Amino acid sequence: MTVLLDNLKDDDLTENISAGPSRGWYHWLIVIASSLFAVVSIGFVGSILAYSFPAWGHAATLITGRGWQSPTGPYGGLAMITGTLETSLLALTFAVLVGLGTSIAIVFLVPRRLRTIVATAVELLAAVPSIIYGLWGFLVLAPWMLKSFDPFLAKLPFSSAIFGPSSQQFGPSLLLASVVLGVMILPTFVAISREVISAVPNDLVEASYSLGATRWQVIKDVVLPAAKIGLLGATFLSLARATGETVAVALVAGGVADVQFHLLQPGTSIAAWIATQFGEAQGNEISALMALGVLLMLINFSLSLISRSLVNRQRKALARV
Amino acid sequence: MDQNITEANSPEVLVATESRTPGSVAMSLRNVAVSFNGKTAVRDCTFDVESKKVTSLIGPSGSGKTTLLRALNRLHDLTPGAKVNGQILLEGTDIYRGDMTATELRTRVGMVFQRPNPFPTMSIYDNVISGLRFNGVKKKSMLDEIAERSLRDAALWESVESRLKVSAGNLSGGEQQRLCIARALALDPEVLLMDEPTSALDPIATLRIEELLVTLKQRVTIIIVTHNMQQASRISDDCAFLLMGEDRAGELIEFSTTQKIFNDPKDSRTLDYTLGRFG
Repeated sequence: MTVLLDNLKDDDLTENISAGPSRGWYHWLIVIASSLFAVVSIGFVGSILAYSFPAWGHAATLITGRGWQSPTGPYGGLAMITGTLETSLLALTFAVLVGLGTSIAIVFLVPRRLRTIVATAVELLAAVPSIIYGLWGFLVLAPWMLKSFDPFLAKLPFSSAIFGPSSQQFGPSLLLASVVLGVMILPTFVAISREVISAVPNDLVEASYSLGATRWQVIKDVVLPAAKIGLLGATFLSLARATGETVAVALVAGGVADVQFHLLQPGTSIAAWIATQFGEAQGNEISALMALGVLLMLINFSLSLISRSLVNRQRKALARV
Repeated sequence: MDQNITEANSPEVLVATESRTPGSVAMSLRNVAVSFNGKTAVRDCTFDVESKKVTSLIGPSGSGKTTLLRALNRLHDLTPGAKVNGQILLEGTDIYRGDMTATELRTRVGMVFQRPNPFPTMSIYDNVISGLRFNGVKKKSMLDEIAERSLRDAALWESVESRLKVSAGNLSGGEQQRLCIARALALDPEVLLMDEPTSALDPIATLRIEELLVTLKQRVTIIIVTHNMQQASRISDDCAFLLMGEDRAGELIEFSTTQKIFNDPKDSRTLDYTLGRFG
């Protein structure tokens, strides 16, 4: 026994553990890999900033200007910015309204055996590549909206003020882009909000039932308030996904750089505009597109940060209970 | 009902048979068994819970104390696959098969849980009156009055009077548990179920809750699960001893006055347990 212990001490403990971290090949592998990551990240952000630099001289035009005059300039980004905001916020409204109901149903109404299946299906939908949502929007949703939905919208009060005349050709419009985006971010919102809702401690649910609450009261007065902050986090994360979405919007928004508040008219978003324009862009236009990209990055960073801090706050709030 | 009682007096179930005046029984259990997906968790529970007394359920882990307790306010309704057999009567009405809804039952049979679980997003005041709000009470003066009375009954009024609007999460563990007691009392229940209400608390907070229970039994019947035998002997009038059987299902071994269970039990297993020989 003593011999064994002595051996162990001499060979393993002293040399490999007590003597501090050994510098094996894996140590260097990790150092190289992580340094490479740092170099790539800094290089990535740095070069984007550098390329966008000339355009910041015209920052005011970039943010508030209308009209994108290629290849001479000026390059006004207002249409892309408003388009991004309109489509994302409309999509978000749709996703939150439908998604909240869906998550509540998954947690409280769907039988336990089906729950895992439904939850997995939702997560799979969230992983569908966005080009497929775009194609579906263009080939399936657009014709249907033209034929069935637009005439219905036309009958609503204030229809022409909100939606404007229907484009009546292929159907691309800000509204179509919003719906496609909404359908696209719906699984994301459901996946996160379902987790947030199921993380509400069961003893709170039992406590409310024990006080004679009905299921609806348990959901409305106890579960949703307890999950509030996390649900807000899910909302911001979904919004971040919507603002950054490129290819689906490029396919169905219409690609027109007009500041457009009539939702049935075509428009564009920052991401979609960059995707469709950069191929033929040169010189200052590249800088302008890069600067729009930086703007989008900033929007997305802030949304992700907000959402992350909200989700952390939720976790802490529930941990304290 | 009489027939049920006779059936229940099987050899291994020794039910206290002292004569009890009618009306003094708050809840009657007749051959109560709980199973989950066909697997029995606790069975053969037959005893009467006397009104305005403290009845404790004791026994080692896995003996089905908590499972039995949760059957008394139909909390198992929330668990798919759970089934409660036998009869549980509240003032003579079968709580599972009578015309009483689970919601109504739970306003008459309140529950305090093992871990203090005040609603974290509500203030102290809102926590106390949450049960009243669930049941549609809106009148401010009535809510205020009941909130104060319930907090006084739970011996919490003095320390929270000035901060009723503060979040319940700011209270200490013992205060949170007393808030949960106040919250249950606000509905003026006939029976209060308590599932190891002091196991998450320090000794001083525990002592204060125990003192509270002894005062509370003047107005409410208390059924308390505890694995602390000193606690059972200190505060309970009657005592049910449960034990896990060979098929891992809990069963009632003996029900009697606490005095008898601890000093003169009829079953040798009860004696062994109360003497600390196992469990």
